[in-house]
Amino acid sequence: MITLEHITKRYSGLVAVDDLSFEVADGDVAVLIGPSGCGKTTTLRMINRLIEPTSGRVLLDGTDTRTLKPEELRRHIGYAIQSVGLFPHLTVAENIATVPRLLGWKRDRINARAIELLELVGLDPSVYAGKYPRQLSGGEAQRIGVARALAADPPVLLMDEPFGAVDPLNRDRLQVEFAKIQRELKKTVIFVTHDVDEAIRLADKIALMRLGHLEQYDSPEMLLDHPATKFVHDFVGADAALKRLSRVQVDSVMRTEVPSAHDNESALVKAAADSARFVYLTATDGTLEGWLDQRVLERGTPLADAATRINWRETAVGPDASLKEALSRMLELGYHNVPVVDDAGRLLGVVSLSDVERAMKGGDAHMAASAVTLESGNDASTNSPEG
Amino acid sequence: MADGSGHHQVVVKPPNIATDIHRESDPLVRAVDRVALSGAAVALASGFVLPFVEFRANRIVEGVSYRTWSVAGVWGWLLLAALAASFAAALLPRGLRGNSLLVCGVGGFAAWLFAAGAAATRLMPTNGSSARVSIAMGAWLIFLGISVVLFQGNQTSTINGGRAMALAVAGGAGVAAWFLGGLQQLSLVYEYQAQSDTIWTLTSNHIVLSLGATAIALVIGIPLGIAASRVTAVRATVIPVAGIIQTVPSLALYGLLIVPLGLLGLPTLGTLPALIALTLYALLPIVRNTYLGVSGVDQAVIDAGRGMGMRRGELLLLVELPLALPLVLEGIRASLIMVIGITAVMAIIGAQTLGTLVFLGWGSIAVDLVLLGALPMVVLSIIADQGMRFLQRAIVSPGILIREGQD
Repeated sequence: MITLEHITKRYSGLVAVDDLSFEVADGDVAVLIGPSGCGKTTTLRMINRLIEPTSGRVLLDGTDTRTLKPEELRRHIGYAIQSVGLFPHLTVAENIATVPRLLGWKRDRINARAIELLELVGLDPSVYAGKYPRQLSGGEAQRIGVARALAADPPVLLMDEPFGAVDPLNRDRLQVEFAKIQRELKKTVIFVTHDVDEAIRLADKIALMRLGHLEQYDSPEMLLDHPATKFVHDFVGADAALKRLSRVQVDSVMRTEVPSAHDNESALVKAAADSARFVYLTATDGTLEGWLDQRVLERGTPLADAATRINWRETAVGPDASLKEALSRMLELGYHNVPVVDDAGRLLGVVSLSDVERAMKGGDAHMAASAVTLESGNDASTNSPEG
Repeated sequence: MADGSGHHQVVVKPPNIATDIHRESDPLVRAVDRVALSGAAVALASGFVLPFVEFRANRIVEGVSYRTWSVAGVWGWLLLAALAASFAAALLPRGLRGNSLLVCGVGGFAAWLFAAGAAATRLMPTNGSSARVSIAMGAWLIFLGISVVLFQGNQTSTINGGRAMALAVAGGAGVAAWFLGGLQQLSLVYEYQAQSDTIWTLTSNHIVLSLGATAIALVIGIPLGIAASRVTAVRATVIPVAGIIQTVPSLALYGLLIVPLGLLGLPTLGTLPALIALTLYALLPIVRNTYLGVSGVDQAVIDAGRGMGMRRGELLLLVELPLALPLVLEGIRASLIMVIGITAVMAIIGAQTLGTLVFLGWGSIAVDLVLLGALPMVVLSIIADQGMRFLQRAIVSPGILIREGQD
């Protein structure tokens, strides 16, 4: 648990942070957000004492951080920054080993830990351990930055726009990966960003700051539904309902019982048996190849030409995508349903527009998903190759 | 020649007009090696026109000059042939050029040694006496031209280990010319034999003084450079002062040192004042480069280091100095080479260095003596330069030398 008590930072008369107090529970991600100059980075840096507060105190599990040596404190708090700051003269593995080495770990333990962390952030240790930072892409460097912050397994992680310096596509991927890692590791994270979507996606709590003040400290849902001030309302934007969708993962609302078949003929049989409009077509290994729409047949198209063939990479979404992405995919392609596939393109389920609508209204999306636009049967297991 | 990239694709594929036009207009493929061409031309012209050696029956009489082709017999003609071949090699297309230049250069070097030996053997009377055969202007210019050809050939050669092979052949030719080719008959060698003890003593003095001054400058300069990167006041004093010291001519600097040395009761002539002056000279490149190297470290890297709990000393030793190392080593290299040169000048104030030999030769119009002082200095500078470059490759992290985005 991290507690900030009446933290104030003044620079020769200028108040950067003004009487800030909030608490972050163990295992939570608290995101500090606000316009530039609002004091969010200063606040973050006061937690590991890179900046000393003018007044107030920071407690780590009840211990006043001022009673610890700054260097000792920092060695037990992970630190990742936007510019990453990897040491260019050290290899990736040596960079990750920085804090364990400062802590005097044994060599074997350090090496094993570096490999473990590279795997955690999704980089092949045999390829990356010996590379130098200048040989990495922006996204790879940011991943190593996070791995390095996690090296000594600190309970607390401070991250200052850790995904700020990469392109939007990479940032999106890094956010998904970070969320996955966080679910596994349950660190207490304080995360600075200026990107509202990033905040809403990753935060358990959002601290919205303005001119050194805390405007509101709440869950993203509360912030979106009940903004405390006009500033909060304006800052999170008019599309609060849409933003809410980025909080919901596709696999929490998708329906997994989807009729599917391997060819047009059996799809027709399946459609009749399940009285379903759509039957998905998959290869024998379950890879999504397209679908058969009863309406197309009703218009008199011959069965052989009736199927819509698609490339799952362009048409489907992954289970860890957000509903916002699923909705965007539907609008983009003009469909009311979007299939959900795993990494290999195997059909896992379907999300429909009405699922999204329900989630947007704030109802329990998962429960609501049972009565559907996608008229489907009950015993078609889409995951099995048998269909 | 396996040149790897692209050119022989034309041979494999059907004729491709576009590619051929591209080849014709590609400056790298068509252009001649102008540097090697000039070197070979100068050498060739000198070989025909200028004197190769000079003979004096004794120290008093006027010398008699001889040209390459008239005095060195078959070796003289071989030498001229090698120079003509070098000239032709410089005109070859790029793929063939480097290797040809290297071969012609090494051949020319060997022929030069044997031609000099042959000329000396032919001219020296058998009863020895005080007769001398010395290398003349033409031979020096040919030597220079060959060096240029060798340098260019080494740059562009595609033979694996071509440099090592060239060095081995040249070294072998040197040994052979020394023992079999009459190289020992040259006046330079007679002079060396007469002075060898002195030369070796002066050489070792020169080395000790240069290295000593650089070492002291290191011990003082690196902490000063680090301090300059930390404290504005230090930077504002140390860097300009070191700059001013460097702009003062060496003898003037010595003149400025006399008074304080005298007041302290220290010797105002000889090794000590030389060492002090040299140290002061060596200081600037080391201080400045250390300062630039340490203060140039990316702030994000410093912030990351501090944020991970590095103490100031750890940050300096584990991050800042390793990152500043290429610049620091470059400063040391610059200091060392500069000091090797200025150490010679310090002979004037009584320090026993290779400069002593040069000034002695100068005073007595003994060119060979000047050369015996100058050549070891050239060799010392080359060794220092190559040694520092080797050190850079050996101890600087490859991660720093990689360019951004390179794999």
